[in-house]
Amino acid sequence: MSIRVIVRLTPARPKAGEEFRLQAVAQHPNEPGTRRDERGNLIPARYINQVEVFFEGEKVAEVRPGPSISANPLYGFKFKAEKPGAYTVRLRDTGGDTGEGTVRLELA
Amino acid sequence: MDRRAFLKATGMALGAVALSGLPVRAQGLEGEDLANLEKALQEALGKGFRDLTPSDLVKVTMPTIAESGANVPAEVEVNLPPGEVKAIHLFADKNPTPRLASFMPMKALPYYATRVRLAETSAVRAVVETQDGRFLLASASTRVTVGGCG
Repeated sequence: MSIRVIVRLTPARPKAGEEFRLQAVAQHPNEPGTRRDERGNLIPARYINQVEVFFEGEKVAEVRPGPSISANPLYGFKFKAEKPGAYTVRLRDTGGDTGEGTVRLELA
Repeated sequence: MDRRAFLKATGMALGAVALSGLPVRAQGLEGEDLANLEKALQEALGKGFRDLTPSDLVKVTMPTIAESGANVPAEVEVNLPPGEVKAIHLFADKNPTPRLASFMPMKALPYYATRVRLAETSAVRAVVETQDGRFLLASASTRVTVGGCG
């Protein structure tokens, strides 16, 4: 199954040389493996453990999240706006599911 | 301001004073559950894990109090040129798995924001690994009413 990822920039159209935030939000329960269901059984761990950010195909940042990240996780980065292009965020969880979200950087 | 709000506000202010007045240990670590944390530090940082330098260049932003530990915003900002930061590691002392995340900025600025689960009230640490092999430490604390791991 593919993980839904939404990526957005703030400000949406930064000026050249300006810093902007890139935020990715994934739809994922991020089970830490410590929670129990209503019958008291442990819910097995399954969480996103790899996040990669690409700009025009080149890897520009990477995160290795652990099981203690919230459900429907948010990942926030800052970059300097240099040239327009596409940012892609790729995720992978411990079960092998992947997800991808893209946003285009346009300069003001 | 009613009595309840007044007590809450003064209590929190006193707590903040007490925290900032604590002496810093050689390793820069304070707390009760350090054995748990040190294991995670060693795993993430290798041999250098005892060599942490508390630093003003690192800023961790967390809420003072969180109703639920399931979704606590955390933000780290490092006041160093982008190329000098190799990785930013986040830890929560009392979580079953203390390491929250490791971030490699590469071409990004040395800033990372996320939302974390906290099992209970505990310190959250950011350890910044610089390109020249130093480990800079900053801590913040959030009071948690309901834990986020169980």
